Amino acid sequence: MDPSERQQYRAAIRGDRDAFEMIIRTHSRTLFAITYGILQSREEAEDVVQDSLVKAWKTRWRVRDPEKFPAWLATIARHKARDVFRKRRTVPLPEQMTEPIEPGPPNTSALDHRLRSALATLPELHRAALTLRYFEEMDYRTIENTLGLTNGALRGILGRALASMRKQLRPALASMD
Amino acid sequence: MATIHDEIDIWLTADLHGELSNNERSALHAHLVDCTVCRKTHQEIKNMNIILEETLATEKPDPVFEQRMLAGFRNRVPQRSGLVKLLVDLMHLRATQIAAVAAVLLGLIQIGRMITGEPVTARRERERYVADQFAAQPSQAPASGAARSGALAKSAEVAAGHPQGLALKEPPPPAPAQSKDEERARAEVERTIVTGSNVPATAEEIAQAPVQEPAAALANRKLIRNATVELEIISFDNAVQKITAFASDEHGYVATTNSEKQANGKLRGQVVIKVLPEDLDRFLQKIRSLGELKNQTLGTEDVSKAYFDTDARLKNAHVMEQRLIDMLKTKTGKVSDLLQVEKELGRVREEIEKMQGELKYWDSQIQFATVTISLAEKDMEEPAAFLLKERAQLSLYTPDVEKIYNEAKSLASPKVQITNAQLNRDYSGRVSAQLSMLIAPEESDAVIGHVKGFGRVENFQTQTQRIAQGGSGMSENARTKRDKMELNVTISREEQEQAFQQTSLRIRTASVDEKAKELRTFAEKQGGRVRSSTFSRDPDGREVANVSLRVPLKNYPALMQSLDSLGKVQNVSVQRQDRTEVQVDESNAPADISIQVYSQGNIVTEESGLLATLRRTLAQSASAIMWSLRMVGVAIAFLAPWVIALLLGVWVTVRIIRARQSKT
Repeated sequence: MDPSERQQYRAAIRGDRDAFEMIIRTHSRTLFAITYGILQSREEAEDVVQDSLVKAWKTRWRVRDPEKFPAWLATIARHKARDVFRKRRTVPLPEQMTEPIEPGPPNTSALDHRLRSALATLPELHRAALTLRYFEEMDYRTIENTLGLTNGALRGILGRALASMRKQLRPALASMD
Repeated sequence: MATIHDEIDIWLTADLHGELSNNERSALHAHLVDCTVCRKTHQEIKNMNIILEETLATEKPDPVFEQRMLAGFRNRVPQRSGLVKLLVDLMHLRATQIAAVAAVLLGLIQIGRMITGEPVTARRERERYVADQFAAQPSQAPASGAARSGALAKSAEVAAGHPQGLALKEPPPPAPAQSKDEERARAEVERTIVTGSNVPATAEEIAQAPVQEPAAALANRKLIRNATVELEIISFDNAVQKITAFASDEHGYVATTNSEKQANGKLRGQVVIKVLPEDLDRFLQKIRSLGELKNQTLGTEDVSKAYFDTDARLKNAHVMEQRLIDMLKTKTGKVSDLLQVEKELGRVREEIEKMQGELKYWDSQIQFATVTISLAEKDMEEPAAFLLKERAQLSLYTPDVEKIYNEAKSLASPKVQITNAQLNRDYSGRVSAQLSMLIAPEESDAVIGHVKGFGRVENFQTQTQRIAQGGSGMSENARTKRDKMELNVTISREEQEQAFQQTSLRIRTASVDEKAKELRTFAEKQGGRVRSSTFSRDPDGREVANVSLRVPLKNYPALMQSLDSLGKVQNVSVQRQDRTEVQVDESNAPADISIQVYSQGNIVTEESGLLATLRRTLAQSASAIMWSLRMVGVAIAFLAPWVIALLLGVWVTVRIIRARQSKT
C-alpha cells in the first residue's frame, strides 16, 4: 500500500474528517459496485452506501490496522446490503424468473431483462465480484483484497458466474452471431 | 488435475479479463484450435462479456455520485465544534477507554468496601468520627468517665484519675481490719440511730430539737413506739433476771414473760417489757449485751388522727350527755318521751366510756414503748435422743425350702413379729421364700443366730442407722435407744446357688460304666451330690460318661485325690469366682465338678479299614470316569454344530469348483 494512502487511513481513523471525506471520494464507487451487485437496484444501493459511510465514520476507532480500512469499509457495505436484501426477500420474486427463456431474435429490452434474471440467480458474492469487475474494471487482485478473498479465488468465481449466465442466455447468445 | 477443456469457462473468462499469463494464454489458444466445443463456448463467452459490459455500463453511477455521497454524509454527520470533537476523539482513544474502565473498577471496589464495611477505610472513618465527637464535646468526656468509675469497682487508676468525682459519690471505704460482725453491728447501730433521730418520740426530744417549725407541728403528735428483739443467750433464767433489772433501771416494768422447755432441755421464751419511749434506745443498747442479737426491728405508729378524732367525739358526747341530763331535770313531757331520753342517755354514756377506754389505752401505749424480747438458749437444735435402727439381710440356701420356711415362721412371738412371709414356686418347680420380721432389740441376736442355723448362709448384711430425735447434729449428753430390728430372710434351694468353684476334667479309663459308678460312690462319701449323669457309646466302641457333682468346698480336695484312683486324670480346669461384696461361708460353699469319663475306641474304625478304603477308591474312580464322559458329551454338543456347518461350507465350495472346472 502507498504510504500516503496509509497515512490518510490512519488520519481518518483518528477522526480527521477531511481524510475521511477524501476516502469517500475515492471509495464510494467501489462500495456502490458491491452493493449494486448484491441488490441490483441503484436507489437501494446508493442508500446502503450512504448508511455504510455514516456507520464507518461512527465506528472508525474499531479499526486497528489502517491497511485494512478499505476491506473493512467493503465488509460494512456488504453486510448492510445483505440485510436489505434479506428484508426484501419476503416479497415474492417476479414471475418471469421461473419462465423458460424462449429463443428468438435478440431484443435489447428482453435481453436486458434476461440478463438481470440470470444475475439474480447468482450467489451475492459472485454478483458483487461481477459488478466490481464490470463497473470499476478492477484487476483480480484488487477485487480479491476488497472482498477479503484468498489469492486466486476470484478466477474461479468469475468463471463460474459467467458460465452460469452463459448457459441461461445461450439461445440469445447463439442468435447474436 | 482439471484440464483446460473441463474448466474452459474459467480460462476463457480470465483470458477476456486479461488475467492469464502468456503461457496460459498460448495453452488456451492451442486447445481452442483443437476443440470445436470449446471454440463454440469461446464465442458464447465473448458475447456474454459484451452483453454484460453493455448492460452494466448503463447502471454505472453518474459522475456526481461522489458529490452526492459526500453531501449526504455531511448532512447526516454534522461537523462538531472543537470541544465536543475533542471529547469524542478522546473517548475513542484506547488510553482514555482503559482509564475509564480502571476508574469504574476502582469506584466499584470503593462502593463494595463501603457496603461490606471492610476495615481499611471503615476504621479510619470510625477513628475520625470518634475524634470529632471528643473534639465537639470536651466537657462531657471526664463527666462520663467519672460516672463509669462510679458504676465500676473502685479500681485504683480510675480513683486516681477522678478523685473528686469519687469523693462525692462514694462513702469512705471501711477499714479492712474490721471483722464482719463488727460491720454488721455498726450497720445496725446506724439504722437505729437514723430511725430514732428522724422520728422524735417525746415532747422533750421535740423541745430539744434545733428546728423550731416542725417541732411545733410534732408537739401534738401521738406516737406509739415498739420494738422486737431476738436474742440467743446462754441461760434463759439469767437473761430474764438481767432484763428485769435493766427495765427497772429505765423506769420500766416487765409486762409478760413466758417460757417453754424443749425436749433437749433447752429453754425458749418471750419477755415483754414496757419502758418510757425516751429510754427505749438506751434500753435496747443494754439488752444487746445479753447475748447474740439475731434480729431487731424498731417501729413507730402515728395514731394522732384517730386519737384526736376520738377526743373530739368524746367532747361532743359529753355535751350531749349534759343536754340529756338537763332534759330529764326539767321533767316535762310524756313518760314515754322520758324513757326515750333515758335510753338515749344510756347509749351516750356507753359511748363515752368506750371512747375514754380507747383514749386511755392509747395513752398507756404512748406513755410506754413496748419491747418484745424473744429469747432462745444456745444449741437449741441439739438432739434430745438418738434412736438406733438396725436392719439385717440374710440369704439362706437349704435343700428343703418349705421346711425351713415353716420353721422360721414358727419363731413368731410377741417379741418377734413376722411382717411379711412369702413362698414362691415357679413352673419349673423351683422354690424360694422371703420373710420379713421385726425383732425386739434384746431378742435380735438370739433370733438371728437361730435363723442362721437353718441352712448355709450365703449373704448376711447388717445396717445400723442412728436417728436424732428432737433436733439434728451431735450431742454429747443425748441418750441412745435401740429400736426394733428389721430382718429380711431369703431362703433358696441349694441348686439355685451359684457354685463357688467350678472344675472340669476328663478321666481316661478302659471300663467307663464301672468307673462312673465308683465315682458316684466317692462323691456321696464326701457329702456331695450327683447333679446329672449321662452315658453314651458310639459305633467305634468309644464310651463316654458325663457326671456332674456338687460337693462342699471343704471336701473338694479329698474328692479330687480319690479321683486319681479311677484312671488318668486329664484337662483339669478350675474356675473360681471370688465374690468380694458378700460374706460367704467358704468351707460350706458349693463346688461343682463336671467329669467326663471316657474310653478310647478302636484304633482303626470299620469305616477306615482296608476293604472300606478299596471300596471307596473304586467308587471314586468310577464316578470320575462318569464325570469325564459327561464333559466329553458337553464338548461334542458345543462344537458339533460349528463343525457340521464348516464341513458343509467346504463341501459346497468343492462342488462349485469342480462344476466350473468341468465347464471349462
